[in-house]
Formats: sequence, C-alpha cells, structure tokens
Amino acid sequence: MMQLNSLTKEQLTELALVLRSQRHRPLPLLLFLALCFNLVLAPAVLAATGGTVSRLNAYAIGVLGLLTFAMVIYLLVVMLQPQRF
Amino acid sequence: MKSPNPLSVSQPHPSAGEPRSSRQYTPKVNTKGLYSRAVRESFVKLDPRIMVKNPVMFVVWVGTIITAVTTIAPNLFGAVPGQNQRLYNGLITLILFFTVVFANFAEAVAEGRGKAQADALRATRSDTIARKLLPNGAEQEVPSTTLRKGDQVKVIAGDVIPADGEVIAGVASVDESAITGESAPVLKEPGSDVASSVTGGTRILSDELTIRITADPGQGFIDRMIALVEGAERSKTPNEIALTVLLAGLTLIFLVVVAMIPPIANYRGNPVSIATLISLLVALIPTTIGGLLSAIGIAGMDRVAQFNVIATSGRAVEACGDVNTLILDKTGTITLGNRLAEEFIPVNGYSLIEVARVALASSVFDQTPEGKSIVRLAKQLGATVDFDETQAEGIEFTAKTRMSGTTLPDRAEVRKGAVDAIKGFVRSRGGKLTPELDTAYERVSRLGGTPLAVCQDGVIYGVIYLKDMVKPGIRERFDQLRRMGIRTIMLTGDNRITAGVIAQEAGVDDFIAEATPEDKISVIQAEQAENKIVAMTGDGTNDAPALAQANVGVAMNSGTQAAKEAANMVDLDSDPTKLIDIVTIGKQLLITRGALTTFSIANDISKYFAIIPAMFTAAGLASLNIMGLATPQSAILSALIFNALIIPALIPLALKGVKFRPLSADQLLQRNVYIYGVGGIIAPFIGIKIIDLIISAVGLA
Repeated sequence: MMQLNSLTKEQLTELALVLRSQRHRPLPLLLFLALCFNLVLAPAVLAATGGTVSRLNAYAIGVLGLLTFAMVIYLLVVMLQPQRF
Repeated sequence: MKSPNPLSVSQPHPSAGEPRSSRQYTPKVNTKGLYSRAVRESFVKLDPRIMVKNPVMFVVWVGTIITAVTTIAPNLFGAVPGQNQRLYNGLITLILFFTVVFANFAEAVAEGRGKAQADALRATRSDTIARKLLPNGAEQEVPSTTLRKGDQVKVIAGDVIPADGEVIAGVASVDESAITGESAPVLKEPGSDVASSVTGGTRILSDELTIRITADPGQGFIDRMIALVEGAERSKTPNEIALTVLLAGLTLIFLVVVAMIPPIANYRGNPVSIATLISLLVALIPTTIGGLLSAIGIAGMDRVAQFNVIATSGRAVEACGDVNTLILDKTGTITLGNRLAEEFIPVNGYSLIEVARVALASSVFDQTPEGKSIVRLAKQLGATVDFDETQAEGIEFTAKTRMSGTTLPDRAEVRKGAVDAIKGFVRSRGGKLTPELDTAYERVSRLGGTPLAVCQDGVIYGVIYLKDMVKPGIRERFDQLRRMGIRTIMLTGDNRITAGVIAQEAGVDDFIAEATPEDKISVIQAEQAENKIVAMTGDGTNDAPALAQANVGVAMNSGTQAAKEAANMVDLDSDPTKLIDIVTIGKQLLITRGALTTFSIANDISKYFAIIPAMFTAAGLASLNIMGLATPQSAILSALIFNALIIPALIPLALKGVKFRPLSADQLLQRNVYIYGVGGIIAPFIGIKIIDLIISAVGLA
C-alpha cells in the first residue's frame, strides 16, 4: 500500500495509458493473465500427478491445458458466430 | 411489302454457353508465375490473423507450434517412452507445417487465378479522354476518371466509351469484345429497352453517340467483374458458413475426445506423448475440406465470370443451384426484341398508300426502333409527311394508354397502339369498328407478330404488323432446362395469340399473356409461396420490380440500367438461357463441397486403424493393425503424410469442381456417395500402406 502511495502522478498516468491501450489490443494482456493463472494451476497439476512429474512439466501441462481450453472456446465462438470468420 | 433485314441486335452470340477463355477476342489470362506467386503467398498466409479465419487449419497451426516445442524439449510435458523422440517429433512438426502450407497454397492458387483474370480485364480498360458536354452545349475534354453519374459525353467513331451509360441520342455500332469476347458489332440507339445501354471500355466503330453516364468511376460493370474475380469483396456464402459451423463442431468433438485420452492412457499404464496426441487430432479433424473450402468458393466465382456473368454475390450463384422455376420476359429476352414493321394491312376499304401515310404521320415523332421502322416502311411505300411538323405535337407512348401518335396542326388526332386501346379511342371519338380489324389482328397474332392498329380521329385505317423473332437456338436450351427439372414460364404484355405462338416456337412450359408489371411480381410471389426458388430474366425497366422480387434475377446486358440495378446478376451475352450455365455452376459448388467433406470424413476410418493400434500397443490393441504397418512411429508418420499430401492432390478437383451430370438428386447422391464415401474409406488404406513401406525402406522410423 505504501508502495502504491509512493507512485508519482506521472507513473499513475502512464499505467492508466497502458491499460487503456489494452482495450484495443487485449491479446497481450490476456496472455499475461493466463500465464499468471497458470501459476495457480501448476501446483494443482503437480498434486494430481502425485509428484511423478517435475515442476517445469507441471507448468507446461498447465499451459497446454489452458491452451486446449482456449481452443474449445474459439471453436464454440466459430460455431455460434460464424459470420465473424 | 417487306422491310430490309435489320442489323442484328442482341442476338445470342454464336458461342453462347462457352466460357470466355475459348472465345476469339477475349483478353487472354496470363498464368505465368502463378504457382511461384502462390508458393510465396502460402507462407505469407501463415500469419495467425489470417489463419484464425479457418478454424480447422488454425487448430493444425497451433498443433504445429506445440510439436515444434516438443522437438526442442521432448520431455517438456513429462517423460515419454521411446527412442529418437526428437527426430520423431521433428518429423511430425515438419509434416504438420506442410499440411498448413498446402492448405494455404490451395487458397493462394485459386486467388491467383482470380487475380490473373482481373488483370486481363483491367488491361481492356484504359483511362481515356472523354468529350464531356457542358450545359451550354460546348464540349470539354476531360479524363474519364473525372466523369460522374449524370454527366453527358459525346463519343465518335474510333473512341473508347469512357464509362457505363445510357444512349440518349445518335445511332452507332459498338464493338463489345472487351466484355463479351465477340467482335460482332452491336447496334446502339436511344429509347429502346434492348439497345440503349453501353458499357465502359467498349469501342464505337461508326457514327456517333451522346451518352448519359450512369456509373461513377470504379462502380462500372467491368470494375464489378474485377472485384468479383479478385475476391476482394468476397464474404462467406450461407452454404460456406453452414459448412464452417459443421467443421468447427467436428473439430471441437475430436479435440475434446483427444484431450480425454491422456488420463485414461496413464491409468492403463500406456502413456501417450503429446506429439502423438496432436497427430491423432490432426489426422481426425477434417483437414482436407478445411483446407480446400475457400479454394472451392473462389474457383466457383471465377467460373461464373468465365461464362460472362457478373454476379453481385456468391449467395445468388448458390441460390441458382436450387432454382425450380424460371420466369422470362418475351420481348428482348426470348425474342430479338427489335420489333420491326413488316407490313401494313389496310381495313375499311383504304388503300395501302393511305394506311402508310397515316402510319407515317403517327410515327414522325416516335424515336423508338419500332417507330423508326414504321417511318422507313411507310416512306418505302411512297408515303410522305404532308403537314408542318413544327406545328404538330407528338404524343408519347404510356403503359396506361398503350398508344402513341401525333396531333396534327389542324387538331386531327393520329394514333397507333394496341388494338383494343385504339378501339376504345375510336369509340370515344364516335367512330365505328369493323370486323376486318379483328381478322387482321388475329392474322398478325397467329404469325407471332405484334399488331398495332392505326387510326385518325374516329376512323381506323389499318393494322401494322410488327415482326419479332425468337432468338436462334433457344428451343434446345429450354429442353436442357427442362431436363434439369426447371420449369420455364414466359410472361408478356402481348395478346394471348401472339404469346401462344411465340411460346410454342420457343418451347417454354407455360406462358402468361397480357401481363402488367404487377402481374409479373404476383406470379413470382405465387411460386415463392409454394416454397419454390424462382429465377427471373429480363431486360426492361418494367422488369425491374420483378427482378428484385425473384430469388435470382438475371438482367440482360443489352437491357436498361434499371433492370441491371434491380437484378443480382447481369449476363454480358444477353442470353436468357445463360441461367443453365449458372445453375450448373451453383449445383457444382454445392456438390463439390459435399463430395470433399464426405471424402474428408470417410478418410478418418483408415486413420483410426493406423494410429490407435500404434498408440495403444502396450494396452493390447496391436491386433487392430490390419494394414500391417511396420512400427508405431512409422504408422503415425504415414497417416500424417497421407493427410498432408491429399490436400494438394485434390486441388485440381476443388478448382475445376465435380463434373455436373444431369441426373436426378437421388442418382447424383448415390453416385457421389460411392465415389467419395466408399472411395474415401478405401483410398487411405492403400495410400498409408504405400507410404509406410517407403518410410520403412528409407529407415525414417
């Protein structure tokens, strides 16, 4: 909290500008958020495999799982709104 | 007395039914460098923003990236049993990469051919200098690109017509080979439904014309044809959208199925590598049709342009494939439309010269070809104008009065028009009718001509026989339409007897006579109410509402601007039976898509038998290896190689389309299910086995 308070007005303006630009190109932000979410997912994968895989493997499997989920959403969008494609 | 043979107007060209490429004067399409450009384009299309528009190939593209990652780090997703994982994953990556490239290549070749055709069309256009007519009557030379709708220009012999327009004065012959590929000159003159519109880029051969421009630069017919073949404004047709939804659905199902395999495989103690899972997914999803779908659509539009038809949308071409009923206008569509005075038939005891005099007087202000032919015939018979034209008043034809004529300086009214309209006029002036009139009327109608009665005040002088000819070769084309299951109906404002004779001669299934423009619309609506798809061909302004109402409206290029705007297709050859070719293309599009989709899905069976035993050898499914493939790795590689190679192998079929055979729907379905369904099941077994033998021989796996 103290760190947030110490941000100058210029730095806050810059942050707001960055976030506003993401409205036009949401993909990089989404990717970043997905990778962050994977940090939550990876331990779950590690637990599910009973520790037989390494932490890197768990992270990679998490990314793959998210990617598969994204493809499912993409294909559902194609089916429901085909005129967009 | 017969009039001399006229210059032919809007006759179907001798090569009607043949594509542009086989016509003598069509600018030839240059396909040099087409394939090398297509190869370059295939790699450019790997951009994810382009790939995302094709769901099936996008899934393959994502799979390629994942397998590329596993080539670098084979144990990224967990330890995998087996040797040479890097080599194996690398080979899979390469094959998947080429699968995507081959699909892009198919689309690039189709687009390249379209662009080559567009370039050939562009070459016929040039920025010319036009002679613009200013409001004060002076002429100004301006570039043709500065002309706008409503401007008036003068073109003289040797000039290229600068833009699409309507002739408002003058008579000239025009070489339309730039758009039709035929060099036979066509007569253009004002006031006629049939011969008054001209297209930019055509050359005037003799005399001069004053033209009112009807299209802004870039909106003319050649521009629209270029846009159509280039595919610049191409959007997916309803059929393509439906098929895309189906393919996305199938891909989704297979994705979910393949994603469910790892937990089950791990449980059975038979872990499967990610590369193998992706191979299974790519082998199962319909990549063949996914890769070729857009190429089929683009090639279909190019074929429409090859037949000299400008279609404003792919949707109209597809709708053509399902047409049940074709409604045709008579004059200018089934007949040549340049009705010319053939004979004067006197009644009431008048002599031929007297009838000729009255006919001449009634047509002296008439600018239509019919009027001019009456003047010509009357002068041939020795009649002269015996009044001061500057003191007389011309009465124009209206659809309401169905008459035209002249009010002479001594207030005498000379009229010509439909026989019943003239009868009404004579009755209203207190005159008497004669049965000779009806005899003459029937005689002309039985000959298939149009009878015009001519009178002065309350006295009928005679009947003018306007002769119209059915376009040659039409009867055979209507027979062809009948064999395709399409019913033809002729609609005309002419009387029943004339209509009956022409209908008989042309060979249409049914006709409706004395039809008003409202009747034309109600006939179309009645057919549509029975869930029939109705196509209409026409050329006149009075056809415009009906052309707009029909599911498919085909306007003749020789017709009026209003008709061309209302229709969703324009036939540059002005051939009313061109619909046969468009129906064939429409059906071909649908059949080709169906055939390749069937083939694509039928292929899956053999790929199951290749990949599943290879994946689950440890789980005891090795006995399913009915093709006797050498090793699990060679089995998977063979299936993927076959999957990749089948796409370029089917490109020629996709571009040419499955050959249309005039069979019934059931017969066609049966035939295609055998060839593409059963063939699609059997062919991959053989293909995969051969590839497996080669791979084992080479020692790749």
